[in-house]
Amino acid sequence: MSSDAQIRAPSPIQRLRTVLFSQEGILFLILVVVVAVLAGRSDAFFTPRNLLNQGRLMSEVGLVALPMTFIIITGGIDLSVGSILGLCAVLLGVLWGGLGLPLGLVLVLVLLVGVLAGLFNALLIVRVGVPPLIMTLATLALYRGLAQGISEARSVTGYPEWFFRFGQGNVAGLPTQLGLFIVMAILAAVVLRSTTLGRTLYAIGNNPVGARFSGLPVGRNLALIYAFSGLMAALAAIIFVSRVTTTRSDMGSGLELDAIAAVVLGGTSIFGGKGSILGTVIGLVLIQLLKNGLALMGVTSDATIIVIGTMLILAILVNNFIQNRRAGI
Amino acid sequence: MRVSPLSVLPVVLGAGLFVAYWFLPFVTQPELGPSTAAFVSADRDNNVLELETDGAQLILFGAAVTLIAGVWGLTNAQHSRAVAAVTAVGGVLVLEYFAVFFLSYRRDEGTYLAAMGVGFWIMLALGAVMVLQLALPRPQVPAEYRLSTLLANQESAIVVALVVLFVTIGLSNPRFLAERNLLDILQGNAYVAVAAIGMSMVIITGNIDISVGSLIGLLAIISGRLAVGDAPVVVAWTVPLTVGAGVGALIGWLVAYLKIPSIVVTLGMLSILKGVLIIWTSGQRVTGMPEAYYLAQWRPLGIPTPILFMVGLTLLAALWLRYSGLGRAFYALGGNAEAARLSGFSGTRLTMQVFILNGVFAGIAAVLYATQLNVIQPTPPTSLELFVITSAVVGGVSILGGKGTVIGAMLAAILLNTIRSGMIFVNVSPFWIQAVQGLLILVTVLIDLVRRNRQML
Repeated sequence: MSSDAQIRAPSPIQRLRTVLFSQEGILFLILVVVVAVLAGRSDAFFTPRNLLNQGRLMSEVGLVALPMTFIIITGGIDLSVGSILGLCAVLLGVLWGGLGLPLGLVLVLVLLVGVLAGLFNALLIVRVGVPPLIMTLATLALYRGLAQGISEARSVTGYPEWFFRFGQGNVAGLPTQLGLFIVMAILAAVVLRSTTLGRTLYAIGNNPVGARFSGLPVGRNLALIYAFSGLMAALAAIIFVSRVTTTRSDMGSGLELDAIAAVVLGGTSIFGGKGSILGTVIGLVLIQLLKNGLALMGVTSDATIIVIGTMLILAILVNNFIQNRRAGI
Repeated sequence: MRVSPLSVLPVVLGAGLFVAYWFLPFVTQPELGPSTAAFVSADRDNNVLELETDGAQLILFGAAVTLIAGVWGLTNAQHSRAVAAVTAVGGVLVLEYFAVFFLSYRRDEGTYLAAMGVGFWIMLALGAVMVLQLALPRPQVPAEYRLSTLLANQESAIVVALVVLFVTIGLSNPRFLAERNLLDILQGNAYVAVAAIGMSMVIITGNIDISVGSLIGLLAIISGRLAVGDAPVVVAWTVPLTVGAGVGALIGWLVAYLKIPSIVVTLGMLSILKGVLIIWTSGQRVTGMPEAYYLAQWRPLGIPTPILFMVGLTLLAALWLRYSGLGRAFYALGGNAEAARLSGFSGTRLTMQVFILNGVFAGIAAVLYATQLNVIQPTPPTSLELFVITSAVVGGVSILGGKGTVIGAMLAAILLNTIRSGMIFVNVSPFWIQAVQGLLILVTVLIDLVRRNRQML
């Protein structure tokens, strides 16, 4: 009789349970609870103005977290994104302010540099077989060093008015970068869920050797996502510079850990093969709202990082527990 | 036991160097510094040569290194390749002295060259023979003793890199080799090297700890606060170790028993510890510790304590990892967790133990860090954890687990600081130091990898 039960289509209640007890479902519940609690504690929290402003602030980490999700799904990691951001920000300032190139061209060049930085990571990871953690650890130092060397501790300010639209302006009522992030997130989610490329990433994460032997273009796909990571870091750099109106070589340091925290909180397995963009986005929103909500409640911003660290461990713990229970049943 | 003539050579060379140093017609002129030792007495009166380098000590170092290597080679015949490498290092030290000497000699356009004593030429010959030693063919397994085998493991590759750095930077600015600077180089990263011991063990078991920077910062503040609060100095030194072990146990428990990946646990722990640290100190520096507290400023036998701790702990840990049951079990766990389990090791317990050990080493590093200056900064140096991890990784500890030694990690920590210090001495703009450092990290990692790939073929 058991075979009949397996064949039968899942009832709506079973379906609901699957959705609820999925990684994203649990996280979403946590998010709802957190928002409810925070909204009850502070009037200023659950207002469109505040929420949109938080969206503005989280977009830079968010943009970087999208390719980070891809990379972690393949079992890799990219620690160099913060440094790429710093390098691109400094280059933006130097190329425009120092060399006097037109700003439009500079933006294109900066994005190109980001892609090249990502490709350099991919080159040694794919061709030489350096473990991603080590490769990006080395380029974390290298790119940050280049940023420091090129900038020589000078900062560049005085950008034209139109440039500030990226970081401070609005498009259709949304902060520009939030709109950009939403578009990119949807694109990334579609790519990951429904394209050959996306499914290949899971295959690489689950079994890299198997993926290669199945004839999947492992090297090309890895190069693609690391380049994508560099591109997003460069884009985040442009937005960052536009938002704070200056360039400094230490911009974006620690960004990689924020992005990884969002990805891991979102249920992407650090060992690869599992994860989703939706989870990353929820993780990102959860962290940002926690920071903001606690700050509005009068908790100092330093205390909030304790809460976020605890949250990270607890969320994984709860999730592990529930997934184990489900697997057991 | 039959002793081949070649294995006696290093002993003879080392002893010969000592004899030459003391008995050949060298003249030491204290007012000119010991590096003038290679002169004979001729024309001494109008000697204007001045070197800040403590050059003659290089000869002593070289002699000692060679002698030790020789004795070691006599007792362990199978290590003759390593002995040859070490002998060559001794030879390079001796030769380097002459390079330094010649350079400043030429600069001063002196006239002593013809008058230089027989000791000069003997030493030069000895140095050359010691370097040649490496290239000499061995009767037993000739093919293995080519110069290329010098890079047989990451430790010797780093030693070669260190020697090359010291020679090249020393030649362009002899002040780099002054005793004070050498001690500074060794001392500056000593606490990083101590933390890297624990990190190496963690990485060897296939885990990672990215919270160690915040942990060191927090433990340093605990130690400082205790000392300011009139606790006995010994308490201020030991409490960080126990607190570190406690935090390590917590991390280990989460990783081992609750099966959360270590990178996730320590990522969370990084935030928690950093937050606690900032709230607790509220950005205030800790000052006014009692005089007896500054452990890292002591200099027993003229050697700063951090160096003693670094070398002593590294050697102990290296021997312990190599020969103790638990040490071997760490390698087994990292190499193949399933096989280790089937061989009767408890993976969960080993993971607990390695994180507790890591916490203790973080505690020692914190005490060294806290006592090196008269103030303790409220935040540890930025990306300290990355420096610690980089030291371990550049030192040849495989991130995939199961491979690497703590000696390599220590050498790498020294290498990183040598690069930093050397860049200043050859007038590289301070803004570019980190870029050069990053590039060199990349190069060492690549060398390690290329070598491993070749060994696999």
